[in-house]
Amino acid sequence: MINNTHHHPDENMLIEFSAGTLETAASICVSAHLHFCSRCREKLLRLDQVGSQIMSQANPIEVADNAFDQVMEKIDSTDLSSTVEKSTAAATTAKNTIDEGFPFSVNKLINTSLISKNWKRLSSSVDVARFKTGQDNYEVALHKICAGGKTPKHDHRGTEYTVVLKGSFSDENAVYREGDFLIREPGDVHQPMGSQNGECICLSALSAPIVPTSPLGFLMKPWLRINPM
Amino acid sequence: MISSKTSTISKNKPTDNRVAILNNSEKRSDQWSQLLISVGETRDRKAFAQLFEHFGPLLKGFAHASRNEGWFPGLGDDLVQEVMIKVWNKAAGYNAEKASATTWIYTVARNCRIDMLRRKSNTQHLPLENEDFWHEPDEETPITLLQQKRSEDKVQSSLSQLPKEQDEILRKVYLEGKSHAEASAELGLPLGTVKSRVRLALQKMQIIVSKEAQE
Repeated sequence: MINNTHHHPDENMLIEFSAGTLETAASICVSAHLHFCSRCREKLLRLDQVGSQIMSQANPIEVADNAFDQVMEKIDSTDLSSTVEKSTAAATTAKNTIDEGFPFSVNKLINTSLISKNWKRLSSSVDVARFKTGQDNYEVALHKICAGGKTPKHDHRGTEYTVVLKGSFSDENAVYREGDFLIREPGDVHQPMGSQNGECICLSALSAPIVPTSPLGFLMKPWLRINPM
Repeated sequence: MISSKTSTISKNKPTDNRVAILNNSEKRSDQWSQLLISVGETRDRKAFAQLFEHFGPLLKGFAHASRNEGWFPGLGDDLVQEVMIKVWNKAAGYNAEKASATTWIYTVARNCRIDMLRRKSNTQHLPLENEDFWHEPDEETPITLLQQKRSEDKVQSSLSQLPKEQDEILRKVYLEGKSHAEASAELGLPLGTVKSRVRLALQKMQIIVSKEAQE
């Protein structure tokens, strides 16, 4: 895969991701970015190497004498053929809703954890589909901006992570393409616009509602609350 | 066998006990990768037993190194069981060109430990398991086993040369599974200091490149 991403999670985020200590919502976004970005995948592999060496420095603790036999018993009692069947069946039923270009974790969320199967209109140019991800701090959702769609200018009250999954959008600062990873903090005011050549789908994790800064802000009512779940 | 290897190493340079053990296990790391390949290719039970004997106690130690929310006394035994069953089931997908057995098994262990702690401390349904985050495409230009081995040797020796405070912070992050924020609270350091200390340690090990060097 050619690496076209220009906006990456910072090193501390990758380190926490590699150590498994990054919070769930941010981890979902980092894993989505990794799907597109070979540069960060390579970095992660190096961090994983460090992590595994450090983890293997834990003082060994003796395991019970029968621990190995118990594991073999469990392995032998698992009917392998039935697991294979089950996974093939799951793959066939899931086929319709899997987008080849999407990261694995996003496809899994789409298949298991959408709050509503349909896009919900946020404004004339933006639709949203929210996920239930089992944590209380962030609303994790897909946003779809139609081609050339304008969104209202807004500020952020909390942290917002965004990963472009399909198409591209731009704001005052740059154009963001597939795989690009963005963080917006309180005080970052921007006005995203969908590219002219097609719709743009983004994954986002939002810790607090955005704050409209334009006079048309009243049109943004649906944006003004978040639903972490 | 262990004592003879350890003594060869201590002849080369004076090392503390921990480093000697590390070098010892690293010397044989190719052996673990070979064993893992055998398990994947031929369901080799003897090879699996050897892996179990080596990694079982290490995994149990790893489980006990983290006292994060959700920890319970049986976590060690549960983790050993869950990880080793996953190792058996996933061994066929192991790619020795991408990672050594040690790196691969610890990636599995890290994900298991997080998921087990999360399941204990969280009553909500969690749609994603930690291993779902690691489903990424295979690289077109895999690192060869030799390069990968060399870089792991480098990781080993550079880890042992870190100043104490950098070694400490990396252990907090990876071994104890503390977030930067938790480490900052425990060590009584500002979050920014924790972040830069972690980065400095990894720069020193040449795992990440410093901003100045990039320019």
